Amino acid sequence: MTAILETRDLVKEFGGLVATDHVNLTIEEGELVSLIGPNGAGKSTLINLITRMLEETEGEIFFEGDPITDLEPHEVVQRGIGKSFQTASIFPELTVEENANIASFGAEHGSFRFNFLKHRSSYPAVQQRTLDTLEAVGLRSQKDTTAADLPYGDKRRLEIGIALASEPALLLMDEPTAGMSPEETQSTVELIEDLQEEMDLTILLVEHDMEIVFSVSDRIAVLNRGSIIAEGPPDEVQGDPSVQEAYLGGVEL
Amino acid sequence: MSDEVGSAAETEADSEPVDESPTLYERWRQIHDNESTVAALTILGVALAPFVLVTLPTQLGLPSEYSWYHNLLTLTLIWGIFALGYDLLLGFTGLLSFGHAIFWGTSAYAAGIFSANVTGSPLAMILVGTLTAVLMAWIIGWISLRRGGIYFAILTLAFGQMIYYIFLSPLGDITGGENGFTGVQVGSLFGVVDLGRAVPFVPEAFVDSWMYVFVGAAMILSVVVGYRILNSPYGAVLRAIRENEQRAEFVGLNVWRYKLMAFILSGAFAGLAGSLYVIQRSFVPIENTLNWTVSGDIVVITVLGGVGSLFGPVFGAGLYMYVANIVSGMPVIGEFWHMILGIVFIAVVATMPHGIWGRVDWLRDRVADAIGGDER
Ligand SMILES: Nc1ncnc2c1ncn2[C@@H]1O[C@H](COP(=O)(O)OP(=O)(O)O)[C@@H](O)[C@H]1O
Ligand SMILES: [Mg+2]
Repeated sequence: MTAILETRDLVKEFGGLVATDHVNLTIEEGELVSLIGPNGAGKSTLINLITRMLEETEGEIFFEGDPITDLEPHEVVQRGIGKSFQTASIFPELTVEENANIASFGAEHGSFRFNFLKHRSSYPAVQQRTLDTLEAVGLRSQKDTTAADLPYGDKRRLEIGIALASEPALLLMDEPTAGMSPEETQSTVELIEDLQEEMDLTILLVEHDMEIVFSVSDRIAVLNRGSIIAEGPPDEVQGDPSVQEAYLGGVEL
Repeated sequence: MSDEVGSAAETEADSEPVDESPTLYERWRQIHDNESTVAALTILGVALAPFVLVTLPTQLGLPSEYSWYHNLLTLTLIWGIFALGYDLLLGFTGLLSFGHAIFWGTSAYAAGIFSANVTGSPLAMILVGTLTAVLMAWIIGWISLRRGGIYFAILTLAFGQMIYYIFLSPLGDITGGENGFTGVQVGSLFGVVDLGRAVPFVPEAFVDSWMYVFVGAAMILSVVVGYRILNSPYGAVLRAIRENEQRAEFVGLNVWRYKLMAFILSGAFAGLAGSLYVIQRSFVPIENTLNWTVSGDIVVITVLGGVGSLFGPVFGAGLYMYVANIVSGMPVIGEFWHMILGIVFIAVVATMPHGIWGRVDWLRDRVADAIGGDER
């Protein structure tokens, strides 16, 4: 196995606050790694550093062996890192199909190559990927619905679909089940597991529901106050006393 | 045309899942949403407008001072082109510029000065004017688009003021300062067609001059190009940026570049329009070209007509031109035309969320529903 993502001594400070504290995280190809930790531990910050939404204070990030610290967010996406947002970040007034369509175009022609006098339908590969993606997230039958009119759970699925349509090798998911009903959560978790298997994805998942985390993860990294305090397979992490201490104040996991 | 041209072909808006056999309504939508239909409708509209708006009302007994006249129709088309391009930016990309007088104005000066010094060929004037506007849009967009929202609007406004004063004074020897540029020399088209002349074999009741044909052709071309852009992936990307800029960046789109391109494109339309304006007037009045009020007018026109629609802004231009040029000449109320325009603007914005065109679209959908209803 080869590392698809590696952070080296990554540091992010906001004023005096160290939100990311010398993080060394390595993710192997095909893994599902979960990032857990109490509120404010720095999970979203770490994700945002990887996507280049935030500028690091120190350290380096490598994707497939290449440094990506000098890239713009869209360039990182082009390289193959997708992100699903903590809220349903979609294009509300466009249809479900157009939402996925734009993401497919982003993957294909994001760095500004396509012809602006050519009709959208004359890009069959993009069209096909759009439909495949909608199929994968179970929204194909609703492709003509305006995205804003979807129920919340479906909006989140669409959000994941948008992230997938840009064909990432590594998918970063920041609390994909936040705000979902138990049923929606259940179906989203199944979706994530299916996706990982079928689409050969590597996933970095931030999730607060421990049941989900321990059932889906290959590996878990625990963040506390910006640093990784434990890392390993679920059973190992579960038994780690420092995790229980720092993370749950001693409560049994 | 549907309100959102780009989405029309595949959306059917928020309708329920459709069965395989298309209803009358859907068939009708498919027909009217393709490019040749759009072009044909535009040609028809441009061709019939003089008869319907100028000739017919007079024959029906409307006093001529209340009626449209040919030059005003030409002017409306010119502003319509300007507004169409502006809507690419405001309606489809979601960027509010308060500096579009720059592109309209500098293209007007460039075309005018070029005609005085090099050649008065109308096509050459358009080329020079449009290229000037593109260059200006490139530079100003490149700087202003670094900031979003209100800062972007203020930056474009500031650039507009700066250029106005530069043209007014430091460059006064070339531009004619506050008197405007008076040396415009418009030549004939292809060296043979004098744009001021009547078109042979065409009754004046329909078209009064080659100028109208020339400007009308530019309008048709603009609509077709606009339609193409909106239906290309590009159009989808621009709307995506309008809807959720951050998400657009995170599907791998170089948002900044696309915004710059939208800005330049809309600058190009403004440049075409500004060049045509000078060709029509043979004069570059600074107050009607570079003054910041022009930047405001184009916003008003676009919003009146309906942001995010291809044709709306053209109708907005029509309404604006009528109030500014006809209503302003009416007895008693004429001198209050600015106020009347304000009231019209408030009324339209308050009662028609998508402008005049949105209301047309809405009516058309009601009618279409009534027709297609029994087949569903
Ligand atoms: N843009 C910011 N400016 C200042 N402080 C921030 C910013 N973003 C996050 N923080 C702080 O960094 C810490 C980590 O935040 P975050 O990464 O959102 O945590 P988590 O996602 O694990 O809940 C918190 O203390 C938060 O207040
Ligand atoms: Mg968070």
